[in-house]
Amino acid sequence: MPRAAPRLLLLLPTVTYRTVAFVEAARRLGVEVTVASERPSTFEQANPTGLVTLDFADPARAAGQARAFAHTHLVHGVVAVDDDTAVVAAAVAEELGLRGNPVAAAAAARDKHQQRQLLAAAGVAVPRFELLTSAADPERVARGASYPCVLKPLRLSASRGVVRADTPDGFMAAFRRLKAILEQPEVARCGDWARRILVEEFVPGPEVAVEGLVTQGALTVLAIFDKPDPLEGPFFEETIYVTPSRLAPTAQQQVAACAQAAVSALGLQEGPIHAEVRYNDRGAWLIELAARPIGGRCSGALRFESRDGGGEVRDASLEEIIIRHALGMPIPTLEREAQASGVMMIPVPGAGVLRGVRGVGEAEQVPLVEEVVITAHPGQTLVPWPEGSRYPGFIFARGETSEAVQGALRAAHARLEFLTEPAD
Amino acid sequence: MSIADLRITAEPIDNGRCKFLVSEPIHAGGVRRFASPDEARGSPLPEAIFAIPGADVSEVIVSGNLVTVVKRNPAPWPVVGKAVGQAIRAALAGGQPAVTAKPVAPESATTDDALYERVADLFDSQVNPMVARHGGRVELIDVQDAVVMVRMAGGCQGCGMADVTLRQGIEAMLQQHVPDVKGIVDITDHTAGSNPYFAAAKK
Repeated sequence: MPRAAPRLLLLLPTVTYRTVAFVEAARRLGVEVTVASERPSTFEQANPTGLVTLDFADPARAAGQARAFAHTHLVHGVVAVDDDTAVVAAAVAEELGLRGNPVAAAAAARDKHQQRQLLAAAGVAVPRFELLTSAADPERVARGASYPCVLKPLRLSASRGVVRADTPDGFMAAFRRLKAILEQPEVARCGDWARRILVEEFVPGPEVAVEGLVTQGALTVLAIFDKPDPLEGPFFEETIYVTPSRLAPTAQQQVAACAQAAVSALGLQEGPIHAEVRYNDRGAWLIELAARPIGGRCSGALRFESRDGGGEVRDASLEEIIIRHALGMPIPTLEREAQASGVMMIPVPGAGVLRGVRGVGEAEQVPLVEEVVITAHPGQTLVPWPEGSRYPGFIFARGETSEAVQGALRAAHARLEFLTEPAD
Repeated sequence: MSIADLRITAEPIDNGRCKFLVSEPIHAGGVRRFASPDEARGSPLPEAIFAIPGADVSEVIVSGNLVTVVKRNPAPWPVVGKAVGQAIRAALAGGQPAVTAKPVAPESATTDDALYERVADLFDSQVNPMVARHGGRVELIDVQDAVVMVRMAGGCQGCGMADVTLRQGIEAMLQQHVPDVKGIVDITDHTAGSNPYFAAAKK
């Protein structure tokens, strides 16, 4: 009797960019998919096997809901796509005995303060840090702070709310700005963390992003991305990611060792990680590590290649590797393609309502550029950092060298013109 | 507008399928689906796309300003996409229509017509009342060779969960209620959605 295809429980928040990449990767692999979201799909009653609602705000409750679902539909693996669902996936994995992270480890990775505490205790190089409440007197704290420093919320993604301060006046301005973000209703209702502010030493030096896959606690580095635009502040909107990294091999080894040390310190056991690491003359510094894959559309910059028995090249996406890992399926390769690859998260051109984008065709004609994706829709309000966290689009390029890819991304971006109107 | 000003945006659906959004209309006579080079004969655009060396194209669907290409070759879309773009430009630069009018009464027309009626009934009675709760609408564009072509509108157009609605919702219902349907193709230009129900909000 043929064995039924394994069932994947895919945790997809309704506002994620990651839907198509994961759903289509699962289809390519021939696995049965149940999509879990935090709000009911209009088709849930029509397809109760393929759609389920889980309370992403309460991982323990979500695990109970998953248990109820699994009573009638055997689940073989669970995959999360972002920070919040990473904790839910850990809870579901524990509840159902699936491959995953301990809940405590996923929760520690989710909270920047808890993460700092565990990493520092384990001897991982992290910036000096202090936790404040948003009710603190900024003038008093500013007098005692060391400069330059960085103020951060404990959980917001995409560097939203992260501000550098070089002086006491700058600190007070940054504090008030971050506090205002934390007091926005959709943030304030998220929990106690929205009333906390992390202040940490600013670590100079180039920053890289590490994509990795953890198996039984051991990290395999899938790619190290250079971030050629210096992230010096005052805000930390990302732009270009290019791989392979041009850091010296010894520096890359230190970066990888730093990420592995962080994985171990947090107790992560299984699944993807995305880490931000800085490197300077004092070595590698773990800035942040998340128990999830790279965000947005950026995974399109990663492609993995293997050769089958006939010598034909087969490529796999990051999402396919993550799904295979979660389901315990064989993984043909963890080797990234030979070409250099990069993505530009298109910077927000300024505050306003988007009316259109010119020059997309011209940008796509730039040699090495493979795709220009505008994800912002007409009528969408564009919000710059630090209040904002949504890029209006992404540019992808591939080529012989990282330098060439980087140049192509910049050239393509220069051809884009965003037409905006002032917001009401 | 000259061919030099033509803009073509690729939207890969998966490694096998990709939509190409063209800034100018290509074919105003409804949806045309070509499942082989023979079917494409006489239409310069699909002829050229089927002829792309090494791409192993198995299907070309043209509707309005959208060209959907299905290929068997595992090469990633960015590799094949530029050749598709060149084929589109070349076809539009030629003097004759890029796609000829739909032939009358193809062999499978009766079957497709019957399927169309059943799918349309399903859309009217179940699918659209469901998506309407999120301000969405799914238009049945055509059925060709038992493949259903749809366009998503309203809250579905550009929605972060549109692919879930398509695969876990509409496709699952078609499998259950109209099992003769072989597949479903979304020919929506999701980049033009101005009021998606769930707008992607995170990095």
